Parts: sequence; structure tokens; C-alpha cells
Amino acid sequence: MTGIKRLTLLALVAVASATAVAQEQRQSPAEWRRMYEMGLKHRTAWDLYTALKVGAGGGKQSPSFAQLPDWSGLWTAAGGGAFFGPGPGGVSPKLTPAAAAMLKQGAELEAKRIVYDENLSECGPPGFPRWLIIPFLREFIARPEQTWLSSETVNNVRRVYTDGRDHPPVEDRYPLYYGDSIGFWDGQKLVIHTNQLMARSMGRSQPTQSEQMETVEIWNKIDARTIAADAWIYDPTLYVEPWYMNRRYSQVPNADKSIRIGYWNCGENPNNDVFKTPDGGTQYRDFTFTGGDNRAKEQGR
Amino acid sequence: MTRVTLATVLGATLFTLAPAFLEAHHSDVMFEDKKEITVEGVVKEFQFTNPHSWLLVDVTNKDGSVTTWGFEAEGPSTLMRNKIRKSDFPFGTKLTITGRPMKDGRPAAIWRKAVRDDGTEFYPSGRASQTN
Repeated sequence: MTGIKRLTLLALVAVASATAVAQEQRQSPAEWRRMYEMGLKHRTAWDLYTALKVGAGGGKQSPSFAQLPDWSGLWTAAGGGAFFGPGPGGVSPKLTPAAAAMLKQGAELEAKRIVYDENLSECGPPGFPRWLIIPFLREFIARPEQTWLSSETVNNVRRVYTDGRDHPPVEDRYPLYYGDSIGFWDGQKLVIHTNQLMARSMGRSQPTQSEQMETVEIWNKIDARTIAADAWIYDPTLYVEPWYMNRRYSQVPNADKSIRIGYWNCGENPNNDVFKTPDGGTQYRDFTFTGGDNRAKEQGR
Repeated sequence: MTRVTLATVLGATLFTLAPAFLEAHHSDVMFEDKKEITVEGVVKEFQFTNPHSWLLVDVTNKDGSVTTWGFEAEGPSTLMRNKIRKSDFPFGTKLTITGRPMKDGRPAAIWRKAVRDDGTEFYPSGRASQTN
């Protein structure tokens, strides 16, 4: 084989590999529908979780380190799915009238550019399931007894207990920003059930979730640079039927190890200090570099 | 001190917002949607902080006065991913910088692009977020 032919072949292999990865990273409409319908077959998130556990032969609790997948490195959200938008193939969530009204109101305010983030603007927690879609860096740390799903945004950590413990008894449950998560391993897949979620906004101009919300997730590394999370969301105040979304997280290139996760503190730099205006919008307070500007005060700080 | 050579470019410059900004620390409603400014100046300070970084640039106005402009970007990890290090903009660096200005007229903008006087270009939200 000549040098040119060899180079051409290598180039073709490289292109084919890249194409294959790109194709694999997009969930097909057929696969999306199969997973979506899996949620429809189960009345509650706990029913779905239990069925998945039975299907996994009871699942594995506290596996050895050697049995765990390698999720090391830095990751970031790579899209896929939305809480209120259509999935692949155009299927949209069936919303309750209350959820539809909240969504409409949020869209109208967005159109008028009246937007304030009740959580992140003051470095409050994004909470779950918003956690699934927030940007910036993430680390996923799998240990036998628990897995930490962490995100740079407001320094949060979701703890998923895989040591066989159950959720707290009903009488001892209380709302949590990220809920209470327990799980089991099905081979290299982590299956999670989350409850005890807090009633709060699901995002900027988005409907408010209820304390009745419960979710099931399946986390799986589908190629060397992609981790996928199937998520089924059950909340009768929002969804007439359980909703399903498939989120992807891609590994962040960091060959020289220069990129690190940093701590978030909205008070660190006064130039990042924003407030909610009387009409519900977002505005900065005074900047340090303008020598005191009164416009923020005039707008109702 | 570098003089202002290009003031406000208020054309209907349409561009795609960087997706991350939409779910970042705060909404961008206080900034213009479809306008950009480009100014020349020198770096006063590069505040490499979370959740947002600020590049402060001293700009000399036509009357000789100096206005400090603040250009906001995402935090350090996002800048590093887009090949921007704190050491890229030491005090006194001459540059041309473009951003979406605030609606209320204060000298602040969302940083879109910067070109140092050595010709090096920097895109804090990635080059893909630029359409011009």
C-alpha cells in the first residue's frame, strides 16, 4: 500500500469513526419512543424502578470497585431532551391545565424580556431535575456504596446511595432541593429512584414542580466520551402521563489538565450582583468600575 | 492611552446566543438583543471569577476623558475551555473588544469577541457562537 493510499484509508476510517460516534450520540425516535412507553406502562416512578430492579435480577448493591464503570474526567451537558418540549419524533408531554398555564405565562414574560432566575441569580441551588440540564462542568464519582453526581453550577452534589438502604420512612420525609436518591447497579448501568423533591421552579420562566414529583434515571456510559441519562419524570400536577427525556453528557477535552472546577459564590465579585426588578426582570446593582451609577436604584432596588 | 476609534455599532446584527448563557447565573435581559458595540482600549483588570468573569477595559473618549467598560463572560472554566487564560490579558494590554451593551446605557456588555493588538482573537463563548 502506498503512503497516499494508507493516508486515505486512515482518513476514511477516522471519518467513519467520527460519524459513528455522532450517530450514536443521538437517540433515535424509535428508541426514544420505546423508553417513553416504558414509563407509560408504570403508574408510579417506584413501580418503574421496581420493575427495572426485577429485570436486573435484583440489581447489584455495593459492587466492588473493579465492577464499576470509569466515569472519571470532566463532563458537560451535551443536550438531548427537554422538560416541556417535544422528544425525537415530535411527541410532546401531556401537560395538566395548570402546567400549560404556567408554561404559557412564562413564555409571555420571556417574549417581553421579563425574566428573573429565582434560584441561580443569587447562587441558590438549581435543584433536581433542573440539575439535568444546567451547563458548565460536572464530575461523576462512582464508589461501591454511593455515587456522587456533582456539578460546578452552585457547587452541588447529588448523592445516590447504592449500599442497599431504602428511602427514609414516609413519616420522616421532608422536601430536599435534590431529593433523596437510592439506586442499584445493573452491570455498568446505574439505576436511580429519587423522591422527597421540593416544590420549586424547574427553571427560568418554567412551571413549578410539586413535592409529588418522583423520578427514575438510568445512567450509562455509551461510548468513551459520552454518558447518557434516561430520565422518567412523574409529577401528576404537571404531567398527565409520565414524561421521558434522554440527556447526554460529553467528556471535556483536558489533555493538559488545566481545566478545573471552581467554587461558585455570587458574593465573590460585586459586579455579579443582580436583583429582581419590580416588574420581574433582572438588573445589575452598581458596578465597581463605574464609580456609582444610580440607574439601578431608580429601577427599584 | 488608546483612543476610541470605533464607537457604537448599532446595526441589526443578528447572532446566536451562546446556549450556556441561557441557563447560567442570570438572565441576559438587561443587555441589548441585537446590538453590538466595539471599542478600543487597554486592560485595567481581568476579574477571573465565578459565576461570571469581567474584563475591565479603559476606553479614552473623544473629549479625552476615560470610561472604564466592563465586559462580562462566563466563569474561569468556560473561559479556559475557550482558550482564554487570565494571563492573556494583563494590565495595559491593548485590544479591540466587542459585546452586547446594556440597555440602560451603563458601560457594560456581554463580551463576544476580543482582538489583542498582536492580532490574537478570543471568543469567550466559543467561535461557533459568532456569526459575523
